[in-house]
Amino acid sequence: MESGLNVMTQRVVITGLGVVSPIGIGVCEFWKAALEGRCGISAIRSFDPFPVDDYRSRIAGQIENFSPDELLDSPHWQRVDRYAQFGLVSVKEAMADAGLLLEREDPHRVGVIVGVGMGGMVMGEREITQLYEQQRPQRVHPNFIPVITLNSASGIIALATGAKGPNLTISTACSSSAHAIGQALECIRNARADVVITVGADASITPLVFAGFCSLRALSTKYNDTPTKASRPFDRGRDGFVMGEGAGALILESLDHARSRQARIYAEVAGYAATSEAYHMVIPKEDGDEVATTMTFALRDAGVAPDEVGYINAHATSTSVGDAVEIKALKKVFEHRVEKLAVNATKSMIGHTLGAAGAIAAVATTMEIQTGKIHPTLNYDDPDPACALPGISASMQERKIDVALINAFGFGSNNAAVVLKRFAE
Amino acid sequence: MIADQIVTALADYLKRDKKSIQLNHTLREDLGLDSMSTIELVYQIEDVFDLEVPNEDLVKLTTVGSVVDYVENRLRLSGKTKAPKQSES
Repeated sequence: MESGLNVMTQRVVITGLGVVSPIGIGVCEFWKAALEGRCGISAIRSFDPFPVDDYRSRIAGQIENFSPDELLDSPHWQRVDRYAQFGLVSVKEAMADAGLLLEREDPHRVGVIVGVGMGGMVMGEREITQLYEQQRPQRVHPNFIPVITLNSASGIIALATGAKGPNLTISTACSSSAHAIGQALECIRNARADVVITVGADASITPLVFAGFCSLRALSTKYNDTPTKASRPFDRGRDGFVMGEGAGALILESLDHARSRQARIYAEVAGYAATSEAYHMVIPKEDGDEVATTMTFALRDAGVAPDEVGYINAHATSTSVGDAVEIKALKKVFEHRVEKLAVNATKSMIGHTLGAAGAIAAVATTMEIQTGKIHPTLNYDDPDPACALPGISASMQERKIDVALINAFGFGSNNAAVVLKRFAE
Repeated sequence: MIADQIVTALADYLKRDKKSIQLNHTLREDLGLDSMSTIELVYQIEDVFDLEVPNEDLVKLTTVGSVVDYVENRLRLSGKTKAPKQSES
């Protein structure tokens, strides 16, 4: 019996990983690039058929040469938008990595939970534009509705895998897939599923969405000529986030189930918290209290004390206010121990992948727990005094991590925190 | 000409050799098109032949041959004699 844990609920572990990112498709490629500190941010060549010259920001974390037909065996990808294709590819990898075969499972005990921020905007924008230009409603593509409904990824992933358990989509903007992981944790803890294929995916480097983020003055504009310098969380020179695209997938399952099929266990998902600041649609509360509360709740849920935490995968989008608020909150939760934490920002390499960000951060965190190597925070060259911590580094750090915390905050005033632990019997 | 275009479109959609598609093949049983796929096919046909297919006509489209006959009839009735345009996809 596990002492100190609620034995009535299932412990939940991670047994498989998959990723599609601007620095690599597949965990091996992604992780190698991350440890080398490679940056996947580049100039947007054009929004075919018009140039990007009039956009204030003209850079993004883009996935070049993505070929779903080569990466996927079944033609399911033809039915869905780019973001869901990313999701399918990441799931295929995670399922193989976990050795999870649906034919050996009760399919109704395998769920799919996907975090999505924007969804099928590639087709969405094209069809909307054509309709308004041509005013020919008969020419709206019949697949438009199935593609743009936000659960198109979770639906197609169920079709592709045969998973017949709970099939849900969580859409909370930039924190979507951190909440997806949290909801998957709850689902398994409450014995509504044994396994949840947990995914985050987004691909909305599209003319309208990109223009919208530009108009919000949320994106970096100072580094259009030096794209790899643009995403610089915690650095004094940061001036907004860089849009990215991608997907991350994690196979979450109950410890009993993982043991019964002798699966390799990467880490334990030990705790989760979801809160709302009820404050502002796009600005975090500047005192950091709500972010601190979210982290505290997640640690409490995991049954760990702040001094057990060794590492933070920060939300850190490289915005002026957001990064400083997060550090302020860390200081509130960890007090003097904040100096001992290792902290990094995955977005410094791939930009902000919106609905995929939490899942990709969780893949990185899992690899960090596994390898003891913490990827660098790129462009942390001139630490902002409001953000500086000794455990943030522009170089790779080596450190054994037993307990890690992942932060994710979303528009609409919502916060998520997820606790991962090194697995111990 | 029309038959050839429709068979080519089907072969592209189904990713199979056009020689393997016969006029007497049923869309559903022989070619495996479900109702959604059939609607997508009709959407392409409307574009290529500049037609509008009303909902009540969808049930008439059961075989490859019936699609060809339907398109030929519609073009004849509308007096369109020009060659169909190339599909943009």
